[in-house]
Amino acid sequence: MTASGQGGGSGHAVDLPLPVLRPVDPDPSMGVVGEHAPKPIRVVLNWGRRYSLWVFNFGLACCAIEFIAASMGRHDFIRLGVIPFAPGPRQADLMVVSGTVTDKMAPAIRRLYDQMPEPKYVISFGACSNSGGPYWDSYSVTKGVDQIVPVDVYVPGCPPRPEALLHGIIRLQEQIANERLSSQKLRRKYAGTRVADAGDLRRPLVGKPGPRREARSGQAASAPRDGGGA
Amino acid sequence: MKVTDVRDVPFGEWSATVLAVRAEGFTFFDWLSAVDQTDAETDAGFDLVCHLIDVGAPGEGRGLRSVLLRTRAADGVAVPSLTAVFAGAAWHERETHEMFGIGFDGFDDGTGLGLRPLLLPDGFEGTPLRKSFMLAARASKPWPGAKEPGEGHESTKAPGRRRVQAPGVPSPEWGPR
Repeated sequence: MTASGQGGGSGHAVDLPLPVLRPVDPDPSMGVVGEHAPKPIRVVLNWGRRYSLWVFNFGLACCAIEFIAASMGRHDFIRLGVIPFAPGPRQADLMVVSGTVTDKMAPAIRRLYDQMPEPKYVISFGACSNSGGPYWDSYSVTKGVDQIVPVDVYVPGCPPRPEALLHGIIRLQEQIANERLSSQKLRRKYAGTRVADAGDLRRPLVGKPGPRREARSGQAASAPRDGGGA
Repeated sequence: MKVTDVRDVPFGEWSATVLAVRAEGFTFFDWLSAVDQTDAETDAGFDLVCHLIDVGAPGEGRGLRSVLLRTRAADGVAVPSLTAVFAGAAWHERETHEMFGIGFDGFDDGTGLGLRPLLLPDGFEGTPLRKSFMLAARASKPWPGAKEPGEGHESTKAPGRRRVQAPGVPSPEWGPR
């Protein structure tokens, strides 16, 4: 058993074609099976979904600490089927926005929400993400994350205790249990909010900053630095 | 850190004073910002404040020696930039520029891009830390509750508590309600 990759057949770099993008469907659809399933099947499907919520924590401020506390041993929301540490938004079912949403951060929240697969749920955790909270007066704080993404459950508090988050999760699970996943209802839920375009999610990587000007204009006035600055 | 050494600098000697103070041993640039004093009785304008620390030797008592330099710039007058003295002042001057609308003469952070926004979101208009900046949020999205002490409950409405008159709080007739 060697740790180094000695497996054969991986020597060549293969020129694979770029993946073909599925055309953007402006109306999210759950497929025929999900839509027209008889009630017993629907109960089973919802039961499976409500106890397997891969959660994606958008921690922005002190509320994120309470979220982490809720995920740890004492409160332990894994016993409710909420699984933290999703590898990324593309693998997550539930986004918990915990903390102060600023206008500068809002596009990032929208972008990561758009990357989540349907059906997706959002819990707004804490006063700041509910309404702006104590920073409602500020020039830079968004007045509630529901201005950007549709929110299913609001958890009040500043910050809320972990028990409040557990209560919010149970409320969300009750909603999911009673849910009938028809395309019509989904459309109503996402009405007014933009559906992600594939182009939005495939923006290129941020380039490196431009070259620094070489000679710093001969002024010996610049602060003394440790050696090896160039 | 308690600042005990506050020096008021004439506007014209701003960068020369910072250079001289750095030669005194205050080689650590802590921060630079501004204070809106446009409603001052005399010499209205902006206080430009800069905090420098001497990390070389401890001062009397505990802690390091530090100095707070302060100058008063009239509204609309560009201040000489400190980026030639402390390269790290570039971020602070960019922030002061976008928050207060103060220009900096000779600003150079090595990119040649000039004083561009640092913290504010794209498309933001206005200089939010000026006292004249209106907090439009109060007018555009009402807060679902009491904003000031004494609001919201009929029983406690009566006591003669003066309403808060902070700068930037729009008057009741302001804005689209």
